Amino acid sequence: MKIAIWGNELIAWTAAACFAEMGNEVLFVPHYKGGSENTRKSSSKDAPANVKEEPGLIKQFEEQENSGRLQFSNSSNASEAILHLLAFLPKQIDLANSLCELLAIDESRQLVLINTSNFGIGASDKLQEKFKGQQQVMAYIPDQLPAGSALKNFKQPDHLIIGCQHDWALMHIRALYRPFSQNLSNWLIMSAKEAEYTKFAITGMLALRLAYINDLANLADELDVDIDIIREAMGSDERIGQHYLNPGCGFGGEHFPQYIEGLAGTLSEARNSSLLSTVLEQNEKQKELPFRKLWRHYDCDLQGKTISIWGLAFKPGTASISNAPSLKIIDALLNQGCTVQVHDPMALENIQQHFEQHIYRNQLQLCQHEMQTLENSDGLLLLTEWPQYSSPDYQAMSELMNTQLIIDGRNLFDKEFLQELGFTYQGVGR
Amino acid sequence: MNTISAGPHWQALQALAENQRLQPIHQLFSENPERFSQLSFRLGALLVDFSKQHYQQETIEQLIALAEESELPSWIDKLFAGVEVNHTENRPALHTALRLPEGRECFLDGQNISIDVQENLKRMEELVNHIHTGQWRGFSGEAINTVVNIGVGGSDLGPLMACNALAETPARDDSSQLAQQAAIDVHFVSSMDGSQLADLLKVLNPARTLFVIASKSFTTIDTMANAATAKEWLCKHANCSDTALVARHFIGVSSKPEKMLDWGIPKQNQLEFWEWTGGRYSMWSAIGLLIALKLGMSTFKDMLAGAHNMDEHFRLTPLKENIPVLLALTGIWNINFLNIGAHAILPYDGRLKNLPAYLEQLEMESNGKSVNRQGETVDYNTCPILWGEIGTNAQHAFYQLLHQGTEAVMCDFIVAAKRYGPDASQELRHQHQLNLANCFAQSRILALGDSVLEDAHTAPAHKRYQGNQPCTTIMLNELSPFTFGQLIAMYEHKVFVQSVIWGINPFDQWGVELGKQVATNLLGQLDGENLETLDASTAGLIKTINGDKVGVM
Repeated sequence: MKIAIWGNELIAWTAAACFAEMGNEVLFVPHYKGGSENTRKSSSKDAPANVKEEPGLIKQFEEQENSGRLQFSNSSNASEAILHLLAFLPKQIDLANSLCELLAIDESRQLVLINTSNFGIGASDKLQEKFKGQQQVMAYIPDQLPAGSALKNFKQPDHLIIGCQHDWALMHIRALYRPFSQNLSNWLIMSAKEAEYTKFAITGMLALRLAYINDLANLADELDVDIDIIREAMGSDERIGQHYLNPGCGFGGEHFPQYIEGLAGTLSEARNSSLLSTVLEQNEKQKELPFRKLWRHYDCDLQGKTISIWGLAFKPGTASISNAPSLKIIDALLNQGCTVQVHDPMALENIQQHFEQHIYRNQLQLCQHEMQTLENSDGLLLLTEWPQYSSPDYQAMSELMNTQLIIDGRNLFDKEFLQELGFTYQGVGR
Repeated sequence: MNTISAGPHWQALQALAENQRLQPIHQLFSENPERFSQLSFRLGALLVDFSKQHYQQETIEQLIALAEESELPSWIDKLFAGVEVNHTENRPALHTALRLPEGRECFLDGQNISIDVQENLKRMEELVNHIHTGQWRGFSGEAINTVVNIGVGGSDLGPLMACNALAETPARDDSSQLAQQAAIDVHFVSSMDGSQLADLLKVLNPARTLFVIASKSFTTIDTMANAATAKEWLCKHANCSDTALVARHFIGVSSKPEKMLDWGIPKQNQLEFWEWTGGRYSMWSAIGLLIALKLGMSTFKDMLAGAHNMDEHFRLTPLKENIPVLLALTGIWNINFLNIGAHAILPYDGRLKNLPAYLEQLEMESNGKSVNRQGETVDYNTCPILWGEIGTNAQHAFYQLLHQGTEAVMCDFIVAAKRYGPDASQELRHQHQLNLANCFAQSRILALGDSVLEDAHTAPAHKRYQGNQPCTTIMLNELSPFTFGQLIAMYEHKVFVQSVIWGINPFDQWGVELGKQVATNLLGQLDGENLETLDASTAGLIKTINGDKVGVM
């Protein structure tokens, strides 16, 4: 089959590589600018950081490019396909509108559009309204790819949610996804609106779990019990399970908070429910948890202290600092008169840009090696669990630091071992 | 005795008053259609209409002659020049210096005090910014989001009034925008018995609450008692050192830095004002911190600019067009020549609900005195009793007395001509029209009586309205930080002008001292000390509390 893929999200690159592998002809337009204008020539070199970091993805993508089944396309060529997959950012809804208007001009042609972008509940139906033809259908399939195992998840999903109730279009979609269905326990067919709602509901549920485990961890701190033990025991209950039960200093990223914000807004407007807004509020508070622990350790006075930070990206494996806890913590420390020495394997440049206008930017030192951050340090805050931080040279750390204080925002280190080595250790809930 | 009441102008005014009594206000209107244009005055967006007063043009001329006889112009010069107009405490009263724009100088003892004022404003701005950006942290490390002002009198009434009056001010620049985003919750506690504070402490989060202790002397017992209770409450919840607790949860505003330090407030948490600022004139100083916290520094500065605009008008305008002077002389006429001893403050604007309480202090604490600058008892009335309420609410309370009682009362109607923009609901905009209609209707009937009706004389006696209660209408184009500043400065200067005519010092308040002293002594007696020195009433009351047997019928 011939399919056009629009947008620059992780799912766009993954879908392009996977559909091509199954013999489809894929026309890929990652940088669509709206209208019928031809977009600039792309290559896999231009892939966004999270795509490049995705295990095996670029390799498979380039193989498919070499096979000729996958090609970067301009919008006029791509628009001729029957099948289209839309993978835009939530803020790019204008692009989706523009694309639909372009495709809808000819009412007689056949079109199956699969929207994977999160534009909110009811958005796909709104896009559908632009089409007048009988065989012109907008479906919605939620993007559920976890960063780090996108390929595996795309190829072998254990369930597929398909928001489409148009038999003719559904036939095309089933055919397109059949090669990926050998592990599939369930085709969940519903309306586009219900599928959008499902996506939001799942995201909200995960956020609730995170908020709950963080709340439990904070209480564990006060009660002097180890949240790790509680967490394992909770996870062993099959009604609960182990996923999304790791406490930490808050979630960030471009999408997750944004989706929840959307859902929180919908819930509070329609149902006067503040459950998810509270989750978001708590999460913002949780991001400053390491700062608060440090603050209390030093009896509410950090003036003149030198503080080290390991990990600035909102999660390991990305340069993105979008909504990352590091932003709030650095700001707070600078305002309290600290010198802040930071390291991150990928995000240093973004941090530099972010704090360029800060009035106390002179107190911020970017370090190329994590050990450099520890010189004369009065405390280390670990904010992102990059694997390279897991087993550092503790002896060297101890020698470099002024005060052997570690505040572990991700519960990465072994508490007892560090204490044995003479460090003062504080985790999240342990 | 050197008294103004023996002078020629006083005598002439008394004669005028005799005649004026025979001629009711409604008659003045029917005889002179130009009354409004002759007797209303404007300064920018502020209009003051004296035409519903019980006097005529020539009365004003005589009143101005009286003011000149009292050497008012030279007193105005002395006030602004920093002469020690507060002679019982050997201090100038330079609240006008607090509102000078940056770059203008004001010298006191060879020092340019404007530099201190501007420096203090900058410090205030830094503090405010620190709190608005969420970077002022409490003991837990969380950002402060609630500020409680602990102060009484001048350290309470002014900022409380301004915060309520200007809460609707739209964001104009970064500073006020930041204030609106930060949405700091502000509260005011003043009462000595701790009841306001106790109610608040039940609902506030100690980790996120900051207290501002505002006291010129930093010894005011009401304030220090509330501050001690607040500190005790914080201590109970926090697990940091005492030093850290005070450093993170208390700001001091005072003219006594050493006293603030003694209490534990570190230098960086101190804002100063000076001996030359009277307590009831201190809203313009760092005492206004809560105003800036709630509304933004730019709003606070706009308020200062409005007051400065009135200062310049007062300082430079000839007496016959000088609004605070005319307002004061109108009061003199009513009090000393028409023998009116009550003054109602009637804001037709819910935002100005604290204005009556503010003016009660400003006027009665300033001019409620009977000894002149020479130490002699005066033989004329001074400050009347002031009270008031939001006009439309008062209509359902004490207006009955104004309309049909036996007391003569002079009234100030204060109203904003415009309110509620095009975005407001139609009903809300209609409410403003209703409010305006009521404001004008009431001042009209109070002044003109039922002469406004054609067939009033046919009504039974209990439905008649005598009128003749003199009214001044103060109309702001809209209630903004600037016009609010003008309004309050106008009343400040009015009070000063009246004090000059009466020959008294408006800047001291010795009448409130003895009570403090006696209360301190009674503390011991409440704790069981000998009651023999007391009068029977006080002794009896204390015995009752302490459970002793007393002969109560």
